[in-house]
Amino acid sequence: MVPVSYYLILSAILFSIGVGAFLIKRNIITIFMSIELMLNAVNLSFVAFANYWNQINHQFSGQIFVFFVMVVAAAEAAVGLAIIIALFRTRKTLNVDQVDLMKL
Amino acid sequence: MSAVSYSQLVWVTLPEIALVVAALAVLACDGTVLRGAAIARRRGVAALLACVGSVAAMLLVGSGPASFHLPDGMLVMDGRTRVVQVALLVLTILTVLLSEAMLTPAAEGVAGGKTAFTHHIGEYFALLLFATVAVLFLVSTQNFLLIFLALEFLSLVLYILTGFDKQSQLSTEAALKYFLFGGISAAFLLFGISLIYGLSGSIDLSQIAVAALQPDPLWMIAIVMVVVGFGFKVAAAPFHLWAPDAYQGAPTISAGFVSSSSKVASFFIFAQVLTLGVFGAAGSGMWHGAAPGWVPVLCVVAALSLLLGNLAALVQTSLRRLLAYSAIGHAGYLLLAIIAHTPQSTSALLYYVFTYALTVLGAFGVLAALEAQGIDRIADVAGLSRRAPFLSACMLVFLLSLAGIPPLAGFFGKFWLFGTALNAAPQLGLFWLVMLAILMSVVALVYYLRVLKQIFVADVPANAGAIHSGLVTRVTLGVMAAATVVLGCDPGLLIRWVVR
Repeated sequence: MVPVSYYLILSAILFSIGVGAFLIKRNIITIFMSIELMLNAVNLSFVAFANYWNQINHQFSGQIFVFFVMVVAAAEAAVGLAIIIALFRTRKTLNVDQVDLMKL
Repeated sequence: MSAVSYSQLVWVTLPEIALVVAALAVLACDGTVLRGAAIARRRGVAALLACVGSVAAMLLVGSGPASFHLPDGMLVMDGRTRVVQVALLVLTILTVLLSEAMLTPAAEGVAGGKTAFTHHIGEYFALLLFATVAVLFLVSTQNFLLIFLALEFLSLVLYILTGFDKQSQLSTEAALKYFLFGGISAAFLLFGISLIYGLSGSIDLSQIAVAALQPDPLWMIAIVMVVVGFGFKVAAAPFHLWAPDAYQGAPTISAGFVSSSSKVASFFIFAQVLTLGVFGAAGSGMWHGAAPGWVPVLCVVAALSLLLGNLAALVQTSLRRLLAYSAIGHAGYLLLAIIAHTPQSTSALLYYVFTYALTVLGAFGVLAALEAQGIDRIADVAGLSRRAPFLSACMLVFLLSLAGIPPLAGFFGKFWLFGTALNAAPQLGLFWLVMLAILMSVVALVYYLRVLKQIFVADVPANAGAIHSGLVTRVTLGVMAAATVVLGCDPGLLIRWVVR
């Protein structure tokens, strides 16, 4: 039986990779993928916790949460890609460094 | 866990159902009967249907069951939730009425004049109604699953509304920035929720509250992550990066909606999560000897928002960017009320956020009416009081109320909010933060007055003529300005609704 902490550490590592990629990568699609990676890292921790609580008090709302997170991620992909296409049509670039009409 | 009957579920969500039906009716009408009709006609019908749907929803909210509580806090309704819902519906109606100005093509031959920003009238109004459904669900739940779903529903609609002017480089850029920051903050919020679920074994706020009484270092990580997620939604520094760009690039009415309706709902649910869910892990924000908990975290966020929002607003040249930075500053004041977390401060929070939403929507409404003339920068409004006396008078009321000048609504909001924050439990140590907030509201006066000086004192440019605005816009703005004055002179009108 793998202890729940292992899953949490893996989930935290995946989440950190996602945050790192979000900050480092310059291509919008890659940044978008890093957000998906972060959501999936959270899914892993939800499933691990759901398994843990299921053994204690037969509560597994975490598993239900995961399904909704997947649905939200899919909806977010639809809206996000639409925005990216609109941006590409007006700017002809997918590099975030060139999307800089407005600055602080 | 007990079962919920579907008939009961339908019964308690009737207001939301009415809004969805109205949204679908708007889409259907616009796509079939009015296909090929003039924009003015399509806009009129769509706005009428949207208003009818909102009014119907308001009546259903008013006539619904007095209070109910579905299992696991899925849907919770009491007197205060109902008041917030009605306020949100009023804001939607005002947004719909004000969008007339945005969707009217500018008169021929106006220098720099813009045409209507979109031809997709039906979609625009339907999305406004869907956003309203999301905020109604958001304020009436105490379950993290539904909070997350409603928040994401709202965010997705707002991303689309921000990028609605898809021919414009600014609008699409604003939507992209809003979307990327929104995505990462949603991931942080979700990670926080998963940790809270792991620690408490529940996603119901009332059950989490029981578990939160035993402190654990992991709670702090979870709370910080939740604060990051909500801090983004309410545009508090240092999670504000999207706000100035989104406000500047978005179609003006979309920006008005983002800054009013979405803000009311986000602040309400933020306060609910912290005061109902993790109340036990409050800690202390005293200058010396802060105790870990969410209060010191929020104190830092509030102080940063106050400083950054108000100081950065001083140097802005774009009116909408100025309103965005002032929104960040106002988020700081509102966080003060959440930090105090007494029953009085929650009432003060609601009073402040309602009047703030009303005035900021009004200010955006005036900007929307001016935008048809290509006015965006502060320099462009020089001598506006001679070109558009009525719009200028409305702007005067809205900006002075935002600055907190008596006898307008914003003054009483600030007064009550600071008062309750000072009266909050002394171990919270909020004195320094209240002092900072008062200091910063003086700074805020400077940049609001700078705009008003341009409008009322500066000379009219040589080739500028009078600016005409639509009747609906003028009546709506007049009513909003009058409401700002009346609520300031007699705050009791609103107080008796927000006090539980």
